[in-house]
Amino acid sequence: MGSDSSSSAQYIHMVQHLIEECIVFNMSKEECMEALSKHANIKPVITSTVWKELEKENKEFFEAYEKRREEKRSKPESSQSQS
Amino acid sequence: MLAVSPLRNANNEREGEMEGFSMEGSEFPDFSSGNLLDSIDFDDLFVGISDGDVLPDLEMDPEILAEFSVSAGEESEVNRPSISSEKLEDIESKQEKVAASVSASDLGSGSSSPIQGEEIVSRRNHEPVNPSPKDGDKGRKSMANSKNPPGKRKVKVDWTPELHRRFVQAVEQLGVDKAVPSRILELMGIDCLTRHNIASHLQKYRSHRKHLLAREAEAASWSQRRQMYAGGVAAGKRDHLNPWIAPTMGFPPAVPPGVPHFRPLHVWGHPSVDQSAMHMWPKHLTPSPPPPHTWPPAHPLPPAPADPSFWISHPHQVPTPGTPFFPPPHLPPTRFPTPPVAGIPPPPMYKVDPTAAGAVAVPGQSLPQPPSDVHPSKESVDAAIGDVLSKPWLPLPLGLKPPSVDSVMVELQRQGISKVPPTCA
Repeated sequence: MGSDSSSSAQYIHMVQHLIEECIVFNMSKEECMEALSKHANIKPVITSTVWKELEKENKEFFEAYEKRREEKRSKPESSQSQS
Repeated sequence: MLAVSPLRNANNEREGEMEGFSMEGSEFPDFSSGNLLDSIDFDDLFVGISDGDVLPDLEMDPEILAEFSVSAGEESEVNRPSISSEKLEDIESKQEKVAASVSASDLGSGSSSPIQGEEIVSRRNHEPVNPSPKDGDKGRKSMANSKNPPGKRKVKVDWTPELHRRFVQAVEQLGVDKAVPSRILELMGIDCLTRHNIASHLQKYRSHRKHLLAREAEAASWSQRRQMYAGGVAAGKRDHLNPWIAPTMGFPPAVPPGVPHFRPLHVWGHPSVDQSAMHMWPKHLTPSPPPPHTWPPAHPLPPAPADPSFWISHPHQVPTPGTPFFPPPHLPPTRFPTPPVAGIPPPPMYKVDPTAAGAVAVPGQSLPQPPSDVHPSKESVDAAIGDVLSKPWLPLPLGLKPPSVDSVMVELQRQGISKVPPTCA
């Protein structure tokens, strides 16, 4: 385990993958940091950094994602039904 | 006949003159003499109008009122040839003016000042601004051609892929949860769609998305469990420390050939495309359903990699290279009435499995509460994470644009992490 660029790239890619999975579960950045730390032993700071970088590259997506999450928060009973 | 019914009321006492308007020849001795206009005392006429008991009658619809005057004019032209037509036209125009100004006075001024002939004319000049004369003329037409009152009649809309694509674009622009039918309608700019069409389509779209996300999340946990049950080969290799070093890290070695590369926005609900796709899928079932051949056979299809990105926000985004892209062209048919295609379980991935892998137990209809709920279940999350760690070659579920490694590294170093993966977790 060194700071080899390819292993870094692979690692970062893995973290991105994990983050995307969390997003599928509608998790917040904090929730994701916690889950990845707990289940995959990834330092929260790494998760948060990758998350932020992803956000920069995919602004629109994350904006929409945040909106959706807010919606769900304010309408807990209709999260499954039509909203 | 000159329908001056509102006027008639007021002028009953002036039978001589008012009756004259009924156009009985005998009662219009003056007409035959040709001094029609002279004989009609318009002052009296309008005085009558200004009477209190006339105005209440004029509460009636100005359109109807105008109708009377117009139709009266026509009728009189037809039925009373003995009367010189130009005189009749004069009367008619006067009638209109009366009607218009009366309605104007009814609508606008509300004053009951006597309306003199000259005032009528002058007011008539101002009439163009007042909608009532125009309404009078067009009243009948507009009522005849009025648009179907919204909500009372639904025109069947054919949601072609193109139409749907524009719909999705509009929704994405607004944000799927914030998308309001009237705004969507504006953004789409198609005037043969009603707000109602949009509203119902939006409802279907949203429920469809939810099912997609649910299914995708469910797939993650199902696949994980199946791996464990299937002998735990992959499960046994729960090596959290090394997967990213594995040489297979990265993208799958080969994109399965013959992947039907549908554009994400493409074929939602379109019968013809669906049918062609449908024909493809069954063929691919046995010979070479792409995903099961690429990945371990017991593993059902990847967790709908395209679905969230399909619906969420990057409809135009081509998935990362090497990621087999499985938009669900078959999803709509079972959910939306438009496509006649039947018999296809919503996600093609799931359809392939029962035959090829024989392992998928979920046809897609019995989904429990999706983890995309406010509180994702820990097990699902754990399962998904474990899946990623153990099978790094799996495609990314969302296919987000990856950040540049350098910028991530720089940022990490700023946070105090110099080596990645860190030696001390």
